[in-house]
Amino acid sequence: MRKYLYIFKSEIMTNIQYIGNVLFGFIGFFVMMFIFLNLWQAIYDDPNELIAGYNMNQTIWYVAITEVLWSIISGRKYTKKIVEDVKTGNITYNLNKPYSYIGYSIFNHLAGCFIRFLVYFILGLLLVFIFLGSFPSLDIVQILLVLLTIFLATLINTLLLTFIGLFSFIVEDSNPFYWVYSKLILVLGVMFPIEFFPPIVQTFINYSPIYVVSYGPARLFVNFNYSDFISIIIAQLIYLIISFLLCLLIYKKGVKKLNVNGG
Amino acid sequence: MLMEVKNQIKISLLSIKYAIMREMLNKISFITNIVFMIINNSTFIIQWVVLFSIKNDIGGYSLNEVLLLWGLASSSFGVSRFFFKKAFDLSTTINNGKLDSYLVQPKNVLLSVITTDVEPSALGDMLYGYIVLLIYGITFKLFLLFTLFSICSGLIITAITIIFNSLSFWFGKSDLLAEKMDGFMTSFATYPGGIFKGVTKWILLTIIPVGIANYMPVDVMRNFNLSYLLIILGFTIFIVTTAFIVFYKGLKRYSSSNLMIAKI
Repeated sequence: MRKYLYIFKSEIMTNIQYIGNVLFGFIGFFVMMFIFLNLWQAIYDDPNELIAGYNMNQTIWYVAITEVLWSIISGRKYTKKIVEDVKTGNITYNLNKPYSYIGYSIFNHLAGCFIRFLVYFILGLLLVFIFLGSFPSLDIVQILLVLLTIFLATLINTLLLTFIGLFSFIVEDSNPFYWVYSKLILVLGVMFPIEFFPPIVQTFINYSPIYVVSYGPARLFVNFNYSDFISIIIAQLIYLIISFLLCLLIYKKGVKKLNVNGG
Repeated sequence: MLMEVKNQIKISLLSIKYAIMREMLNKISFITNIVFMIINNSTFIIQWVVLFSIKNDIGGYSLNEVLLLWGLASSSFGVSRFFFKKAFDLSTTINNGKLDSYLVQPKNVLLSVITTDVEPSALGDMLYGYIVLLIYGITFKLFLLFTLFSICSGLIITAITIIFNSLSFWFGKSDLLAEKMDGFMTSFATYPGGIFKGVTKWILLTIIPVGIANYMPVDVMRNFNLSYLLIILGFTIFIVTTAFIVFYKGLKRYSSSNLMIAKI
């Protein structure tokens, strides 16, 4: 484990060198929040009107948290890198190293997530507070518990992205699977709370990764209660184990049939 | 002069043709990229169906009109990425000294650079636009207008990215700025213009010209308006010309360390 922590630490140091890029990236978040603010102001005739149990401020806070989460965890470059490693055969360079490729990739990605978390979470919340002038009522323990679910959401998403990337062992280019996965999370779990969907879609979302990666933490942030927290944590732990096993399985199977020509 | 332009277009089309042939070497990957991009874009219909189930009119748009807006945004994005993929990498090309091999060719440098590669998935974006047009209710007139506006909007997106990427001639790395500008164009292009008021509306007609590239074309397709059509065509010519001027002004400052690369 120490070697992975070392990888994590050195990647953080690298990311700090490029903190300007992360801050610059925050402009994109600002624009998206600005668009959502205008959109929801156009939809809500009265800020106190309830749509699917959410008033305007709650909906915007929900979208803000899911956007923050999405900005932290989205891993287009990460998935692309794994796909390229498999496609080009670069993954072989890691076979004789004293670490697992999966472990190396995950801790590498988590370091970037951590830096983005610091920037997006703090600045993001501040920005939305300035936009709305109010903050959801949460005590310090509840904030810590929400942060725990955000951490688990990041971990699960990283594992699922790793699985999608390693799927290139089977389909050669698994980038298109990432597009569909990311868009499903974005459309069903980021734009608005799942209560806005018809009941049948809600059932599907409740069993999908969207629940553990996006909806769960955001729902807790907007309207915290302990029974929701327990069900979200249990679902997250189940997803964590399943996604980890899937990564191990596809990696072991893929490496066995790896065939690299030249080098 | 006209002959020269004709020859240049012929060369660019040939370059695109060979890039497509290269990509089609792996047919499964090529087709998967296109199909998945169409599925990827389709997911956003869900978002708007849900929003319009809450309210029938958002920013003066109906569901059908938002779909048309989405279709145009997707199609124009496809035009820019499919035909001019390398425009979005121009800053890296400049900074890595990779312009050298284009400078010795007896053709237009900018067009030669930006048409050397294609993005197969962007074909999915273009097709998606026409699928949406079918859903909206296609007519011959609408088909022609949609195609014209997809090209104009695609050219505007490409021109803006060329202008910002060309800043690398003066300031070194400008790729992040160009990437952000491109992101703004895409983000605003898929939301009804009517939800933005006051200063934002003016910004969207000037600094981030989504208003001209997307909102006005949709207005013309909803209710034909000749003055809007002329503004769109005029702006396209203006911004494309500006892109050429900025690139060639910058090119005079270009220097490299004689990077040796083989272009096959």
